[in-house]
Amino acid sequence: MAGSHATFWQRIQQIPRYYIYLLLAAVVTWQILFPIALPILPSRVTQGVYDAIAAVPDDQLIIISTDWDASTQAETGPQTEAIIHACFQNGKRFAVMNLQPPMGVKLANDIAQRVAAEYGAEYGVDWCNWGYKYGFDNVLIALAKNIPKTIGDDFHGNPVTDLPMMEGVENIESVGLVIEITGLANVTELWIGLIQGVYGTPLAGAYTAVMVPSYYPFLDSGQLRGVLNGAKGAAEMEVLVKRPDRASAIMPVQSWAHMLIIALIIIGNLGYIFGRRRTTERPS
Amino acid sequence: MWNSLLGIFHPAASTSALIWRLILAVAFSIALLVLLHRFLGPRGRRWLIAFVTFAGGLYLGLEYFLPVRGSVLWPTGMPNPNPDRAANILTPGIEPIGIMLSVVGAFTVGLGIYSLCQVHGRNVAQRRPGWHNSGAFFLAMSAMLVFGLWAHYLPDQDAPGGRLPWQESTYELLFGGIFMPLQAATFSLLAFYIASAAYRAFRIHTAEAALMMAAAFIVMLAQVPVGQWLTHGLPTTGPLAFFRLETLGDWIMSWLNTPAQRGIVFGVAVGGLAMSLRIWLSLERGTFFSEQG
Amino acid sequence: MGGLEHANWFMSALFGSMCLIIVVSVLLAQRGREMFIRRIPGLNAIEEAVGRATEMGRPVFFSTGLHGITIVTLQALAILSYIVKLAAVHATRIVVATASATLYPVLEESVREAYTAADHPEAFRSEDVRFVTEEQFAYAMGCVGIMAREQTATNFFFGAFFAESLILAENGRALGALQVAGCPDPVQIPFFIATCDYVVIGDEYYAASAYLTREPTLTGSLIGQDIAKAILIALVIVGVVVASAVGGADSATNNFLLNLLASGAQ
Repeated sequence: MAGSHATFWQRIQQIPRYYIYLLLAAVVTWQILFPIALPILPSRVTQGVYDAIAAVPDDQLIIISTDWDASTQAETGPQTEAIIHACFQNGKRFAVMNLQPPMGVKLANDIAQRVAAEYGAEYGVDWCNWGYKYGFDNVLIALAKNIPKTIGDDFHGNPVTDLPMMEGVENIESVGLVIEITGLANVTELWIGLIQGVYGTPLAGAYTAVMVPSYYPFLDSGQLRGVLNGAKGAAEMEVLVKRPDRASAIMPVQSWAHMLIIALIIIGNLGYIFGRRRTTERPS
Repeated sequence: MWNSLLGIFHPAASTSALIWRLILAVAFSIALLVLLHRFLGPRGRRWLIAFVTFAGGLYLGLEYFLPVRGSVLWPTGMPNPNPDRAANILTPGIEPIGIMLSVVGAFTVGLGIYSLCQVHGRNVAQRRPGWHNSGAFFLAMSAMLVFGLWAHYLPDQDAPGGRLPWQESTYELLFGGIFMPLQAATFSLLAFYIASAAYRAFRIHTAEAALMMAAAFIVMLAQVPVGQWLTHGLPTTGPLAFFRLETLGDWIMSWLNTPAQRGIVFGVAVGGLAMSLRIWLSLERGTFFSEQG
Repeated sequence: MGGLEHANWFMSALFGSMCLIIVVSVLLAQRGREMFIRRIPGLNAIEEAVGRATEMGRPVFFSTGLHGITIVTLQALAILSYIVKLAAVHATRIVVATASATLYPVLEESVREAYTAADHPEAFRSEDVRFVTEEQFAYAMGCVGIMAREQTATNFFFGAFFAESLILAENGRALGALQVAGCPDPVQIPFFIATCDYVVIGDEYYAASAYLTREPTLTGSLIGQDIAKAILIALVIVGVVVASAVGGADSATNNFLLNLLASGAQ
């Protein structure tokens, strides 16, 4: 009898990974088909990003650096979309740009075009796309001193100086906020080292959830005004801009997937604790 | 003298000047390589590597640490050729060095492709198990190469407006229809892997592990609406508000995670500095190359 | 004016003194002064891991991660060099994969040199040093393919890893390999801990070559590095005490000492 119990406790410590994969797939499918939507409360760090956008003076523009690609677009795509909504709703002009990987600028351009159409915003007047710029730190060093010269042509190959919104834009003094949206490590550190730290330009970030813990030191020091934390941060921003969309739709899935993982960890530990107790109780 | 030397890294004034530069550069490189190969033994080669490493590190280090001025080159007082960048006498060389490194990097892509072709070509030629996968590599690489270059350099000028020329739409299909979904799908696999890894690895062996697990549960729940819902009954202000999961999660991230992150980053940064010094002074030589020399 | 573009005088002084400390420690160690290094289990495990592959008659796999020639990958090369020498002595095959075309020729050369140093130059096979691709997830899947096809007994992951770390290590584990990983990025360490048998954490990574070879030069640099770290800790404590005394960093913009410390972050 005791032996069969021991086997059970041992068994629940070693559920084959295929069953775990199947369980997770089942939970995800269940929540996609029949979502249990719960209220989403914007966090302090998301509110920080929104407030930073709202606080940009009208004579300055926002740089949205979209350094992400297809792999992380489940998180960074909705983040970009919600941030662009926030810019349009607050009447802020913005420029999309991209340092790496080059694919990001096209994906972000598609989003910006779609959202701009909703607000009747005009390219070149309310927003523009500076395109992919090669050279990381060299780009940022030059950008700070001379934006038109560094950017040259926009995403469509036209000189940025021809765009009405670029009139009077000379250097980093014309920029009221930089928002770095990325799944890449170390890009934010460049913005901090070369722009925020040197010129005091406000900076905010939007990252994949796994990266966010490493950016809390910069939040704490005030070098980052706010952070969007993965899909959850995007969903919170969607709440703030009152446009529940893809990220909000992901939240029930993420909620129950997290619950499943917690349940699995508890089951594994019950097996570990009771399995050990049975083993120690058994006469040697 | 310095500026005219740097001038060779700037775009040539005419096509003939460019061709002459190319011929001279190739001839100089070949002559240099032949001389080095002919007259340098293994010991000499090690000394050369050590010297180039030291000189390169010294240049970049001095450029970073020497005082700078915006309008003139410190300390010569000569006009700064690029007033957009605060400079000292070494700064004008930074851009050409960056270009040189990019060019060397571009050549190594060729070596990388050679390595791929060597491994997969052998698999196909010898019909090793799974050789069809290597065949798929050649097919994929050729398709991306041909249609990518074709779409870029030979666009169909006669295509009616708004419709993509067929070679470009083929490239779009390969890139947007195959490559991007593959990339997204592979990233999504992480969800499955983290579920199984967390289930297997998280065991309460010790009291510390139990604390760690409690912190992990709080952060995981704070990260999703269902977690926030669990403690929604608690007030949003006052002492009890601290126990709302989203507040507790934020507290753990700000007060426990932040110092730990900073501690690790300090250690890693100083470790990186020591490693850089060892490489720069060739103290690490014994581990990369044989101990002699 | 400071930042990553050029150093200010405070950064120069701090940097210079740390470099000086490290160099002096190296010189002292070279003169024969005894230096103690604590045990690092992840690095101790390297020999056992290679031994396992030898006993099973299967190859060892080594991934250098995504970066090109950086300090992180140069340290990975130093560890690889040690492992290749071990593998060469035990006549065990080692397959190395990189995601950087720039690193590839350097990698090939150091593996060749390591075989030569171990007196087994004939054991070097150029097709065992492979450039897979520069695309992150394609690299991960390529490495998983190598592990599965070659049935590797031991996998080493040393270098710069990002989101692909879990794909590599979880699949490696599923294939039954013993795994040792090391990465200076704190974000990836939890994934390696969950999936690998031994993990080298944080700045232990940069201690690897000193720990493995016990060369006085490298050990001395390790001691110097610890002293430099102690200086940084002291500066943090001074900053915290002064900021607390003057009523928080935000209201202390006129405090000379705090401005000085903050200038290092600019």
